[in-house]
Amino acid sequence: MEARVWGARGSIPSPGHETARYGGNTSCVHVALEDGTNLILDAGTGIRNLGLALPEVLDGPLHILLTHLHMDHIQGLMFFAPAFRPDSEIVIWGPASPEASLEDRIARYISAPLSPVEVRELPSHVSFRDAEAVEWQIGGATIRADSVTHRGPTLGYRVTEGASSLCYIPDHEPGLGTPLSALEDEWISGLALARDADVLIHDSQYTDEEYPSHLGWGHPPLTDALEFARRAHAGRLLLFHHDPLHSDDFLDAVAVTAAERWAEMGGPPGAVVLAAEGATASLPSAA
Amino acid sequence: MSPTGRPLQLILARNLLASLDTAAFLIDARGEVVFYNEAAGTVLGRRFEESGPMPAEEWTGMFGPVDADGRPLSYRDIGVTKDVRGDRPAHATMTIRSAKAEQHRVAVSAFPIHGDDGFHGAMVFFWPHPGDEG
Ligand SMILES: [Zn+2]
Ligand SMILES: [Zn+2]
Repeated sequence: MEARVWGARGSIPSPGHETARYGGNTSCVHVALEDGTNLILDAGTGIRNLGLALPEVLDGPLHILLTHLHMDHIQGLMFFAPAFRPDSEIVIWGPASPEASLEDRIARYISAPLSPVEVRELPSHVSFRDAEAVEWQIGGATIRADSVTHRGPTLGYRVTEGASSLCYIPDHEPGLGTPLSALEDEWISGLALARDADVLIHDSQYTDEEYPSHLGWGHPPLTDALEFARRAHAGRLLLFHHDPLHSDDFLDAVAVTAAERWAEMGGPPGAVVLAAEGATASLPSAA
Repeated sequence: MSPTGRPLQLILARNLLASLDTAAFLIDARGEVVFYNEAAGTVLGRRFEESGPMPAEEWTGMFGPVDADGRPLSYRDIGVTKDVRGDRPAHATMTIRSAKAEQHRVAVSAFPIHGDDGFHGAMVFFWPHPGDEG
């Protein structure tokens, strides 16, 4: 599979010259499977550019896997070109809620007065499915979803194709209440999902210095993101969901700190990078 | 629930209980005591880090609750357990004993933990029984 980052920013789009290199679009990662199936992880504003880049005619349905319905993960849906083509088939997966169906909850955004169109008016074939905390198949890949610590019902996803797996947990505060170092693996939110993933895309919104004033906001400090990846034995770590206040220069400095901490933890050099728009990862399906 | 991780509801409950001064236990869906906090460890005379997770029978054999003669009740016969396994909250007064064989009369409140995918266990809080303090 081939993964490409279309939006790595957290919380709110952050355009401008200070964020041009890492990008200002919110969460969206495209995963192209070997058999041509298109998976889209989250529909933040990055999905707009992805929609423009995808071929107009596609073989099979587009599968959008939403981790949760915070605005920065669904805001691009309304601006996703394939949703406005009558021959497109789009399947939207997302967390279940006892309160309302996935379609009804998304329709709160894609409806008046927030939106000029309603979900039912989209000309494409759009269907909605609850992503249960189980495994299922999409194309040649096995998808696994699991609930993780954030605010409100939130999932992480693991995509496994052949011998390769990619784990995507963009919004996650695994060390809330108890330091990760004090917990056994089975008590760390999301760890079983991420274990031994070749590529882990994980939230790292705050620096360690910023975290104490954002406790419980649903995002981890840098050190927890690194520790989570180390405990999961992830092959590569893409730090994701950059804070909107973090400029490119600031993030460059975070990258240096991350590499130093990772080395102190005994991690292999070069395995940790900060996700930027346009970054790609190629995962061979054969071992 | 993931194949090898705990359900998120139990993880969150453990993190909550770890931050409380009220003595509390976390029980999983099978009745195993999977965590208790420092306050509970003080009453029991043994920290969780020392005892680790314990199956229900082992737990009751060691800490009770006990009957009037000090004999441990069978796990299956504890009313609070029955209620919680039936997905109902429960409250009761009972006698437990510590690792040092001291008996404590306690008031117990138990709350089932029910997620969107079913019953995951219970949070069990306990307080010194009014009138038995000191
Ligand atoms: Zn987010
Ligand atoms: Zn979020």
